[in-house]
Amino acid sequence: MATTGNNSVNAKLVLLGDMGAGKSSLVIRFVRGQFLEFQESTIGAAFFAQTLAVGDTTVKFEIWDTAGQERYHSLAPMYYRGAAAAIVVFDITSSESFEKAKKWVQELQKQGNPNMVTALAGNKCDLEDKRKVEVEEARTYAEENGLFFLETSAKTAINVNDIFYEIARRLPQAQPAQQPAGVVLTNTPAQRSQSSSCCS
Amino acid sequence: MDFDGVFADPNPQLPDPPPDADPSQVDQISSLTLEDAGDAASDEPTAGNESPPTNFHSERNPDFGNTNRDADPSPAEQMSSLTSENPGDAAGCERPAGNGSLHANFYVGSNSHHPDPKPEAPSRVEQISSLTLDSSDAAGAKRSASNGPLPSDFYLAADEIEIVEEVSPVAGDTAGISALGGHGAWREGSELDGEAPPSPSSSGYAGERGSSGASSGIEEVDGPGTLPDDWSRGKRHFDEDDGSLSWRKRKKHYFILSHSGKPIFSRYGDEHRLAGFSATLQAIISFVESSGDHIKYIRAGNHQVVFLVKGPIYLVCISCTEESYDTLKRQVELIYGQMLLILTKSVNRCFERNPKFDMTPLLKGTDAVFSSLIHAFSWNPATFLHAYTCLPLTYATRQAAGAILQDVADSGVLFALLMCKHKVVSLVGAQKASLHPDDMLLLSNFIMASESFRTSESFSPICLPRYNPMVFLYAYVHFLDVMDTYLVLLSTASDSFYHLKDCRIRIENVLVKSNVLSEVQRSMLDGGLHVEDVPLDSSRRSRSLPPQLAADNTIPEFSLSPAITGGPSGLWHFIYRSINLDQYVSSEFSSPISNPSQRKRLFRAYQRLYASMHDKGTGPHKTQFRRDEDFVLLCWITQDFELYAAFDPLAEKAQAIKTCNRVCQWVRDLENEIFLFGASPFSW
Repeated sequence: MATTGNNSVNAKLVLLGDMGAGKSSLVIRFVRGQFLEFQESTIGAAFFAQTLAVGDTTVKFEIWDTAGQERYHSLAPMYYRGAAAAIVVFDITSSESFEKAKKWVQELQKQGNPNMVTALAGNKCDLEDKRKVEVEEARTYAEENGLFFLETSAKTAINVNDIFYEIARRLPQAQPAQQPAGVVLTNTPAQRSQSSSCCS
Repeated sequence: MDFDGVFADPNPQLPDPPPDADPSQVDQISSLTLEDAGDAASDEPTAGNESPPTNFHSERNPDFGNTNRDADPSPAEQMSSLTSENPGDAAGCERPAGNGSLHANFYVGSNSHHPDPKPEAPSRVEQISSLTLDSSDAAGAKRSASNGPLPSDFYLAADEIEIVEEVSPVAGDTAGISALGGHGAWREGSELDGEAPPSPSSSGYAGERGSSGASSGIEEVDGPGTLPDDWSRGKRHFDEDDGSLSWRKRKKHYFILSHSGKPIFSRYGDEHRLAGFSATLQAIISFVESSGDHIKYIRAGNHQVVFLVKGPIYLVCISCTEESYDTLKRQVELIYGQMLLILTKSVNRCFERNPKFDMTPLLKGTDAVFSSLIHAFSWNPATFLHAYTCLPLTYATRQAAGAILQDVADSGVLFALLMCKHKVVSLVGAQKASLHPDDMLLLSNFIMASESFRTSESFSPICLPRYNPMVFLYAYVHFLDVMDTYLVLLSTASDSFYHLKDCRIRIENVLVKSNVLSEVQRSMLDGGLHVEDVPLDSSRRSRSLPPQLAADNTIPEFSLSPAITGGPSGLWHFIYRSINLDQYVSSEFSSPISNPSQRKRLFRAYQRLYASMHDKGTGPHKTQFRRDEDFVLLCWITQDFELYAAFDPLAEKAQAIKTCNRVCQWVRDLENEIFLFGASPFSW
């Protein structure tokens, strides 16, 4: 993480979560604007880079999209060590994946960087009729653990860019320039997620 | 499982039934209390009539040719009749009247569904004298006329492996289950263990499954679309289990299970639904082990069940494809290697801590990798040749690629490989490190089968089982173009990503600037060696690449020659393996061998040829000439190379031998373009 020149920030961001939660789909939607119905399992971890402009700051994300399979679990520290931000992803249609997400949050709290910006993403929010994890449940959990929470859909692109922008805004290096607007903006995600979950 | 009723049918003169329309032959192993070998001996009369008994072939001594069976008059002889796949078998010698179908058979048209007890369609093995200096005993060796009675312990209570023939086609499936008896209860019990199959639809995106269930139908039936390229990924038939007729009719099953009988992998069907079947396999293995022995395979009619025990991991192949024991064993060994590549051998520790450890979650998302490897068993010669193949390139181009790879290898990269599909462009190892051809096969299979590597640059732990089965290396993988050219950089350091990424950027820049990438792409489009280009006589020997490989855009010669003829003297195809380099080159498939089923038939024929030439019992051999209704096959092995060639079945022997000499000369003339020199050979 280094700040150079004109408020340009490099930020390492890691995605964690159960396999099939949609980590790769979120990243590919964010980086390439694409979505594949049958996204193949990630092997090890895939690396992506994407630059965002937040106000007059340029945030260059170095994104580690980790594999959700159990066999790669022990490697996760390699990817979240030194990360400025993390997105813990679960699938709203699977309570199991939500439980797994909680475990990831715990692990980050224990092992991770204390200043890490952590987001909780309830992915696949387009599948409202298959929902197993209620919005309130996830939001309460997020509030209790100091995370910010958004429901996303890589398929329909709902809140995908928003979650990355929100992380960019919350990064410590980006904040000074964004201080006044920051307060206002932090409230928006909650409203958005409400609206997205109300659409059923 | 489809044991085809051979055992129960003493008079196997069934007309070849269409595989789909004949459910009446579904047989079932119903009981597994293999206890009393003496009992089994009473089953011997079966051996006297025409039906082949179910044989347990087990080894007490790894050197099975010398296995010492006490108090048995003819153990060694029996052994050879059980295991021999030597060419003498197929040499048209008379089949013994007794248990003739015990012999490993080179069936002409290996798809036949029932063993043919009669002498087969002409299959001649002839002696070659003019090709080699030494005459060979590969052919012409007459086998002993009678196999005599089987020693009693070969049966290991064969009567208790009750094979029930179902008569009613309609009742076949349900009756098959009821015939399970105690076994059925066993399976129910395991289902009650709470191992419910994971619901594939629990994830709305079905994301981790790939396109499962996309294809159906009996495997090994070659359609026009089974080329390596458009073969569908991860087909698994999750809806099947051992009660399904379709499952039993599959020609080739592979299983990985744990020593406690838990399923780990099955080629077809959902592992969790095969818990009972896995337990059955485990019971067979552990029964034999408990008597201080090791089971190698079981023969049941035209099915062969091959076992491989690797510590707490058991591997089993059930096949009716007429492939030899050695071939199938090699295949399950590769499957084990592929598993190690993903998990390392340290997975054994999980079983030490908990013998009932469930390994399936550790292999999640790797179905496509195993499916692709199993698919490679029917098209990729590397799976049996112990060698890799290179993409044909001009010497200068390969040198340029090698130089930049050497550069990064000197900066702390253990191995740097530049590959296109399964072909090597160049590879370099750090000092003293060398890459085994099997590791290269498994690594390229892993990368090619995992779609996720194409998405972005990846960094993943992998293990090279022949290099060190205990440790993970860290692989940086990046696809450089859409033609499946990719770079793999392997390091021992888990924090080497950024360094490897920098290396890749440097390499990619050089490759683009020196046109290596465009040359690679051109070579992929042009294909490799074509039999049509084999020089007709040595005076016209070309010292350069065939036109397709040369840089100009001349129309390839083969379009001028009539497509039916193939190469000179009816040469259809060849594989040349350089022994010192651990590399092979194989000609492109052309006209007479154009469709996938013909290719597969040729591939299997090569496999058999390889197995018979390297047979531990009778070989190694130097030459073999074989004519059957599909091909003339010629194999020639010297200290430096192995040549496998297929000709028109009507090809003349003298001409074929001449052509083989030309092919060898031609390959030697081109060796700078088709082989990689300087890669440290693997010390075996």
